[in-house]
Order: sequence, then C-alpha cells, then structure tokens
Amino acid sequence: MQSNSALSVRLMNLFRLQDLDILIREASDPELKSSEEKMGFAHPHLDKLQAARERLLETIDKRDLRLYQKIAKRLTHAIVPVEDRTCLGCYIGLPTSAVSLTTDPDQLLTCENCGRILYWLE
Amino acid sequence: MLVVGPRRAWIFSGVEVRYVSESLREVTTILHYFDPNLFCAELESRTKDDVLRELTDRLVQGAGVKDPDLLYDMLKRRESLGSTGIGKGVAIPHGRSLAVNELRVLFARSSAGVEFESMDKKPVHLFFLIVAPPQDKRNEYLPLLGRIAELVKEKKVRDKLQACETFEDLADLLEGKFGAVE
Repeated sequence: MQSNSALSVRLMNLFRLQDLDILIREASDPELKSSEEKMGFAHPHLDKLQAARERLLETIDKRDLRLYQKIAKRLTHAIVPVEDRTCLGCYIGLPTSAVSLTTDPDQLLTCENCGRILYWLE
Repeated sequence: MLVVGPRRAWIFSGVEVRYVSESLREVTTILHYFDPNLFCAELESRTKDDVLRELTDRLVQGAGVKDPDLLYDMLKRRESLGSTGIGKGVAIPHGRSLAVNELRVLFARSSAGVEFESMDKKPVHLFFLIVAPPQDKRNEYLPLLGRIAELVKEKKVRDKLQACETFEDLADLLEGKFGAVE
C-alpha cells in the first residue's frame, strides 16, 4: 500500500486499530446495528472486539498511538489514503516534498491540512 | 455503448464503468458490483478459518488488494462479533478495511458446504464477501449488503446461485433478477 510496498509493522498495527475501531463503532451504533439485524446479522459479542482492541493497543508504538488517538478524537477516520497526491480525508493536494517522504516505510506522514495519517494506495 | 448495460460494458470496454455519470448510477444493477475475476465456482477450503483465508487470497489475486493479512484480520474480528452465516446455506462476510480502496464483492460456492457457525447451524454453500474502504464516498456498502441479504432470502435464487458454474451464469441470474426492475 505504501509506494515501496513494504509496510512496517508499526503502520500495519495502526491500520488494524482503525479497522477494528470502525467495526466497534458500527456495531455500537444503534441505527447501523438495527439495520444489520434486519438483514439477518447478529452482534452478540461486542465484548470480544473490545478485548481484541485492548490486546492490539499493547502492540502499538506509544507515540503512534498518541498521534492516532489525538486525530481520532476530532475526525472519524484518523488514517486515510492518498490518491493522485490528494489526501482523501480533506481532498487537499499534497506538496511534492511530502510525496518523496513515502520512500521511508517507517515514516508516519500526516496531512499538512487536516493532520490525518496518510498512506499510499498503489 | 457505455449505457447499454453492465455486462456489455465489460465485454466492450474491458473495464467496469459503473458511475460514469449520475444518470448511469440511477440504472445501476446489482451486477455492476460483481467482477469476473472475483468469482469462485468451487472453494477448496472446508473450515471457517480456511474459507476466510481463501476468500481473502482470492480477493487479493483478483482485485489487486495489497494486504491480505490486514483484510483477513478484519474478517476474523467481524466473525468474532457474530457469525455472518445468516442461515439457509448463505454467509456474507463483510466489513470495512484500509486494505481496499474501493468496494469489492466476491462470490464463491462450496458444493460440500462449510460449517460457518451459522444461525441455523447448517453448512454454508454460498458466500458473498463484501469489503469496503473506510470512506464510502458513494454510500454503496450498506445498501449493497442489504440488497444481497434480501436477494438470498428467496429459495429459488439460492438454488440458481448454487447452480452457477461460471460468472456468465451469475451475470445472467443477476440481470434476470434485477435488470428490468432497476
């Protein structure tokens, strides 16, 4: 997903956290939950997701987690893709200098405009 | 040529042309979401975990999804919330993940059936894997999930799905079912 196709474990764990947070949020949302239940899906084990989240948090770099939580407090998605050099969170174009930083797999790059963590789709 | 219909558009242009325009969107049928590269006539796996892994791998191969582990983890966690086996031999594993950049749907069959912890405890023969990115710009994911869940409620449709040997069979079924309606 990054331009050099070598995602670091650090970044992958943050991705896992966001995927899991979306699952938890949607399973906890009364409207969405009701909608899925009408389709035939049950959500009896929300506690298992919460427990998985606790375990996952232990594997995440503390600085990365602080950054993620800070962004997630004010924005629905803390991590967003970049497409055509545009942040898909705020739709502002990224400077060329930002794009060149993607060669470092350990570099957590954030959007200068909205502050979200960025990743590159190939 | 583009608005003749989804299947013809695939054949003529070789690309999926959904949502070329808002007017085209209005006539979108459920078939638009399916892809010949994401059709599996017979799953090899026989257990729930193996099926999730196989579905993930097939999606990665067929749709260029870059990270199978991320996708697999999300699907496993979704199953831990509650099985997506909705009964009557159907499962619809689904969720949102950063592993995909657009809505993806994969259809797969298992003639032997797979124990999937379904609500009715019966083995699953028909699988629809639906994965969407976190940002669902066109708000397609949940409506599609609902349409597929509704579709498979009909026994006649399930029987026909089980008889689908090729993507063309599936396309014919979906066009026949929805083409005239939408």
